[in-house]
Amino acid sequence: MPEIDHVLLVDDDHAIRELVTAYLEKQGLRCTAVADGRAMRAALALATPDVIILDIMLPGDDGLALCRELRSGRHRAIPIVMLTARDDETDRIVGLELGADDYMAKPFAARELLARLKAVLRRTRMLPPNMQVTEAAQVIGFGTWRLDVVGRHLLDAEGVEVALSSAEYRLLRVFLDHPQRVLSREQLLTLTHGMDAEAFDRSIDILVSRLRQRLRDDPREPRYIKTLRSEGYVLSCAVTPLGSA
Amino acid sequence: MNTTPAAGVSHMNAILPLLRRLVPASLFARLTLILLAGLAAAQLLTTTLTIDERNDVTMGSMIDSVETDVRTAVALLDRLPPGDRAAWLPRLARGGYRFLLTPAEAGPPVSAPHSRRLLDSVTRALARDHAFTAHAVPGNRERLQVHLRLSDGTPLTVDFLPRRGLPLSPWLPWVLAGQLALVALACWLAVRQATRPLRLLAETADALGPDLRPVRMPEQGPSEVVRAARAFNAMQGRIAAYVDERLRMLAAISHDLQTPITRMRLRVELMEDDSQQQRLTEDLQQLEDLARQGIGYARAMHGKPEPARAVDVDDLLDSLVLDYRDGGADVMLTGRCDAPVMTRPGAMRRVVTNLVDNALKYAGAAQVVVERGSAITIRVLDQGPGIPAGALEAVFEPFYRVEDSRNRDTGGSGLGLAIARQLAATLDGMLTLHNRPDGGLEARLVLPFSRT
Repeated sequence: MPEIDHVLLVDDDHAIRELVTAYLEKQGLRCTAVADGRAMRAALALATPDVIILDIMLPGDDGLALCRELRSGRHRAIPIVMLTARDDETDRIVGLELGADDYMAKPFAARELLARLKAVLRRTRMLPPNMQVTEAAQVIGFGTWRLDVVGRHLLDAEGVEVALSSAEYRLLRVFLDHPQRVLSREQLLTLTHGMDAEAFDRSIDILVSRLRQRLRDDPREPRYIKTLRSEGYVLSCAVTPLGSA
Repeated sequence: MNTTPAAGVSHMNAILPLLRRLVPASLFARLTLILLAGLAAAQLLTTTLTIDERNDVTMGSMIDSVETDVRTAVALLDRLPPGDRAAWLPRLARGGYRFLLTPAEAGPPVSAPHSRRLLDSVTRALARDHAFTAHAVPGNRERLQVHLRLSDGTPLTVDFLPRRGLPLSPWLPWVLAGQLALVALACWLAVRQATRPLRLLAETADALGPDLRPVRMPEQGPSEVVRAARAFNAMQGRIAAYVDERLRMLAAISHDLQTPITRMRLRVELMEDDSQQQRLTEDLQQLEDLARQGIGYARAMHGKPEPARAVDVDDLLDSLVLDYRDGGADVMLTGRCDAPVMTRPGAMRRVVTNLVDNALKYAGAAQVVVERGSAITIRVLDQGPGIPAGALEAVFEPFYRVEDSRNRDTGGSGLGLAIARQLAATLDGMLTLHNRPDGGLEARLVLPFSRT
């Protein structure tokens, strides 16, 4: 019996609060909308939402400060989706570093927001990451590679930047969040799908082989992502958060 | 008959460009040439005048001495026995004249001024005791011969040779050449002093990149140069402030549009009427693209330059193309670079993205081709309508629109290429557009290849 998901929206724009609430309620979710950090704390005292949408530009404590506060407090388990201005890559990056689960650039389509919310909820419910080892680390080391979370690219042993497509990055993040743990194709598909709402129809196998190519991994004898026939894939090396680049 | 003036004109027409071509192009060469020619001419004139003057003075004193010398010589010859006269002749000869025992000849009248002065002198010396005739020698106006008869009837000729300049000292040409060299050196130094600030000014103005970030000219040197440098720097400052203000305004407007656009998008999605919903969403998408590109442009023009890093260009292009393909767009990548490159990956990604977006917008598909020679060439090819040859450069201007073929219906904001070119410049690259021979457009980004 699925219960109704409860969304807490923190945005200082009155019209956006009203419109998002109307839309989400129309879609069958419950939505509490507040204007700032103080109201957010009051709302959290009353009820624990399933997901929080945080606008970055807020009067008083801004979204980044609130995100940090949430992640260090007793509500640390609640997934957060940040709303950023489209131009501001730094905000987005900082938001992800502070532990936001996803971000949406304004202007966004309500449909897209809904898709993200559902994806985030699905992800957190389905497979909680291993104690969030990689959360808040700007650089994650594995094997001879380093993943720069801020720039969303790999660095090889010589420090050469190797770019990743969005889908490859998402898949790699899933593997790095669950090292040495067998992930089924279905799990991988669910976990990678939805962080961006773009159509993502390729099978996980193609994506894995692309990621192996990126990691210069031999598909017949892979060092990083091993295939377990009929079971799925596993990242076979250890993962170390390296802090800042 | 009237062909002559025409021919003359055409002759002049042929000569003038030739003359113009002979005149050196640079101010440095012109000033040096003028100063050097003037000073050399003055020097030459002075030398000539000095030598002439010296010759005149010595000639004058010679002519004065001629009167007594000739009178004495003629009196001596007159009194010598006729047999001894020939032996005395060489002893009586002087630098300017000699005595000959030859009979009179005829010749043109004396006309040269120097010869007349001589003749006056000779007249004063001889007229009292002798009858004489005088004439110039045919073929040499300055040579004067005076004929008389001695008292025994022997003919005597005084042959005045044309005057010759006094011999110059052997060291004189060297001194003159040395002097000329000194003058040339001084000219060169002076002209260099005058033209160097101009060159510096041109270099500084050239260094002012398309981003219009001020490049300061050093305010030092002679007072005129300092003043010019100050004015130049102040002008740059004003340009920078002006551009900065406009870009800030563009960024602010674009940024502030995002909240109302977000509201509108949400409102549209809550609307019941589906027929209008789709159109409104498209309109809003256009508005949103415009706002985003406005910010992108302002940032490309005035953002902090991204640091250069070692980047695998193949992975960068491959991942970029895969993102398009994952999104359902028809984008292909061919060719490889096969070497890490020092570049600014964010800017590079943005340039290629804008070019691919453009190709997708006008042709529906894009092909990215990369190759490495002495430089890295990234081509984005499409099979669209292309761009009229005359507008291939103009489309890089913000908000420029090609008539008809790329109109507003296609939803371009006209900033994508401007941003791309701006960023290409920060990569030290060159971005150009070309119509392909078989139709379609080629956007060509040429980047320097610097190994890591």
